[in-house]
Amino acid sequence: MFATKRLGKELSKMQSGLPNGIELIKADDFKEWLLDIRVVDANPIYQGEVYRIKFMFSPNYPIEAPEVVFVQDESHPIPYHPHIYSNGIICLDLLDRTGWSPVHNVESVCISLQSMLTGNTKKERPPGDENFVRSNTQRPRDINFVFHDPHV
Amino acid sequence: MSSPSPIPPPNDRRSSRASSNASQPGPGSSSNATSSLDVASEPSDLLVVGGPPSSPSPLALRASNSPSSKRRKSRVEKIPPDLHLLEYVSPCDSNLVCLICHAPFGKPVRLVCDHYFCRDCLDHAWEAQQDGHKTCPTCRNRVDVDREPLSVPRILENMLDELVVKCPNSRLGCEWSDQRANVQDHVMLYCEYTLVECGSYDCRFPVSQKDFHKGCLHYTVNCEHCHTSLMRRDLEEHQTTACPNKSTSCPHCATEVLRVELKAHIKDVCARAIVPCPGAIVGCTFVAERTEVWLHERSCPMATMAPHFREQQTRLERNEAKLEPLARRVVILEDGLSNITNMLYPANDNASSFPVTNPLDPNNADAFPPAPLVPTPDFRLPPASLHDSLREEVSRIATALTEVEGRASMMIINDGQRFKDELLHTNANINNMRVQLHWLMSTTLQQRTANSASNSTSGRAGSGATASTSAPSGSTTQGAARNRSGAAGPGVTGHSPFRRLSDSTRQDTKL
Repeated sequence: MFATKRLGKELSKMQSGLPNGIELIKADDFKEWLLDIRVVDANPIYQGEVYRIKFMFSPNYPIEAPEVVFVQDESHPIPYHPHIYSNGIICLDLLDRTGWSPVHNVESVCISLQSMLTGNTKKERPPGDENFVRSNTQRPRDINFVFHDPHV
Repeated sequence: MSSPSPIPPPNDRRSSRASSNASQPGPGSSSNATSSLDVASEPSDLLVVGGPPSSPSPLALRASNSPSSKRRKSRVEKIPPDLHLLEYVSPCDSNLVCLICHAPFGKPVRLVCDHYFCRDCLDHAWEAQQDGHKTCPTCRNRVDVDREPLSVPRILENMLDELVVKCPNSRLGCEWSDQRANVQDHVMLYCEYTLVECGSYDCRFPVSQKDFHKGCLHYTVNCEHCHTSLMRRDLEEHQTTACPNKSTSCPHCATEVLRVELKAHIKDVCARAIVPCPGAIVGCTFVAERTEVWLHERSCPMATMAPHFREQQTRLERNEAKLEPLARRVVILEDGLSNITNMLYPANDNASSFPVTNPLDPNNADAFPPAPLVPTPDFRLPPASLHDSLREEVSRIATALTEVEGRASMMIINDGQRFKDELLHTNANINNMRVQLHWLMSTTLQQRTANSASNSTSGRAGSGATASTSAPSGSTTQGAARNRSGAAGPGVTGHSPFRRLSDSTRQDTKL
């Protein structure tokens, strides 16, 4: 109920306008939304690419953080970033239990991801990406990340 | 106001604005109200709207006639409006919006860091945090739970109170909308759509406050027009808005028609309904009231042509509909045909679309087609293997036969060689004997010609004596000797056999 009302308000606000480079693709229900983001500034790593993000909301949203991952298809790759695994899972304290705050919303998360990509200079995957991608069966919200990089 | 509280006597409506800040009526006033109401309603439990002048106003009666009886007191529950669920008439200033629920603050509170939240939202957010580690959701400042949250400035509360909201019962039909400060009084006292418990003793359905005086409406009735069974409560609404057999007036021409026929009336009959020109299907854009369209129709060439076009269209559609099953049948039949062909000529049909494996073809590695549509391979497999084994058998027999034939002819050749050798040998022997005989004969002839001249008389006696002994010994070579004598010495045919025989005996003794 709480989540539905709040997401309804967010949705109507997003439908009336979103920042440059963020686009709402699908929000048919209050469980799963799809958004597209692209890096607006001229960063050669992400030039001309559009990334698709999937939000999954629990009934306790916004008290609980949404699960946010990049999804891959023919036209939407997973961006190269030292904190984004090649299966789309994002290591960002904002999306973790400890870092999440109910004042964040879908739009602010998208802006954070956008700026995280904009400020990146290394075209690489996180260390141990292959192992993680092969062995990980957990959902993003059940993974305990260790946040070590204060520069993002 | 969570517990059922008696309703205060109806004040002037305007005064409720003032009392709204203290939404819970004071204990003193409420007890007063109860007692006065009890006195007023004691004479009769009948619900009479607009009773004697001494009784409270009808409004108050309606609002409070249930608590008047003791049994009701505990059962009437009006739920106070939840400020979070209110619908606001106009979008409000973003500064008055809680960042957690994204709605105008319900009961706003302030933190030391000067961030504002609804009390409820802040509690929700803090529930998820550990004790002693409560932080501000916005800036993550550590919060001292004992001192915070703080109260908010009066001006903020006033601004919130002035926001215009709709009645929470607007979905049930209430059209009230006013400043938020009044909503509590409206819902709890005046709103006719607030649900209260039914006045009947054993009925637990809620009823709108405005219908309370009608008594219990929660029994099933049949609509006398359409015979639908429904609750008495919903009957009036049904008859005014839904019942198909109730007459209603056409919204365009004000003719009275049955509701069930209203659609057909508007679609085909109503003179004032806005309809397009019948030529619209071929491109006429004229749209007007039906009477005008009738006038337009006479001059519109497209409207004249429209029926023909429509007829052609339906004919086309009909044909297409017919074509489709036919095409499907053709496909099925073609499939069947190719299956039959594959069944009949499995060996030389590898190129056909139907995947058939030739079991006799050693180059074909996979024995079965991936997914045969019909079980032709299964059906053909046993005879094919039989055929195969028979063929093998025949070829084996053929090779055995050739072998035997070769051996037999070899034997015959060997034997023939031996016989030929023997024959040659014999011939050589015979030749040898002939040469000897020839030589003996010529010697004998020479002797005889020499002797015949010297003793022609005495020779007769001597030859006669030897003839008796020499005759049996020369009988074996008689034929041969005779032949030789015939071929080699035609000159001696005139001689008598006795003389010759005696000559040969003499030759033997000489050797």
